[in-house]
Amino acid sequence: MAARPPADVLLVVTGAPFASDMLTTVLRLVDELLRRGRSVLVWACGYTTMLTQAALGAHKPRDVDDWAARYPSTAAVVSGLLAEYPALFGWEVCAYCAQDRGAGPHVPGVRTRAPSRIGTNVAAARTTVYIGGA
Amino acid sequence: MAGRYLAVVDHAYRGGPEVQFCDLFYLARGLHRQLGGLDVVLRGPAVTYAVDTGPLPRLRVGARHLDLPDPRRSLRALLAADSAVSVDEPALRALGLTPDRVLPGVVCRDSASLTRDWPDYEGVWFL
Repeated sequence: MAARPPADVLLVVTGAPFASDMLTTVLRLVDELLRRGRSVLVWACGYTTMLTQAALGAHKPRDVDDWAARYPSTAAVVSGLLAEYPALFGWEVCAYCAQDRGAGPHVPGVRTRAPSRIGTNVAAARTTVYIGGA
Repeated sequence: MAGRYLAVVDHAYRGGPEVQFCDLFYLARGLHRQLGGLDVVLRGPAVTYAVDTGPLPRLRVGARHLDLPDPRRSLRALLAADSAVSVDEPALRALGLTPDRVLPGVVCRDSASLTRDWPDYEGVWFL
């Protein structure tokens, strides 16, 4: 896989999903930056590593109150962004956190990286935003 | 209230695009159906779940638009299923909100009365 150029913005995401508005904030930032032509790299740590598992499939489980409705999984949302912005967007998963939680394998395009990679990413990025809450 | 359960909700902001339709009150509706009755008490920041608002915007993510959790819609469904929903009025006022802002059918009560009912329930659960 070809090396990706340094990101304009690196988002280090260590908080847990399903517990706050963290992922809303992350995706809003990603969407707006990509629309402005900025490159974005998400570094997913902690329970955020669960969001891109291939086993999640394309959709969330059915809504028993609205059986016909279909809702995309978080893995599908990330996959969609990777397909839409192949030159600008990347999503990397912390190998330690993923292994520690049994998270994986991940959808194609999501890279699993050693924890030691985070310093390299921060050094390379023009701007780093740390979104914690773990 | 015999045979019914009470769900106390203190925490708000429980996820967005990862949750979508499957919010806290989706769970509450399921429990309400399975347990033969579940009432809900909202306290702390969770009181805002019962405050009426305009339509929620969808979250734009690339080419997609995602439905974020809609707690008002979920609470309306609970109320329609004969679940009693109460709000801690002091918590509401502490946020600068007033009882006229809550959804029709939701009852505002003082903090003490919210716990007075606990012995009458089959169980009190903190969701």
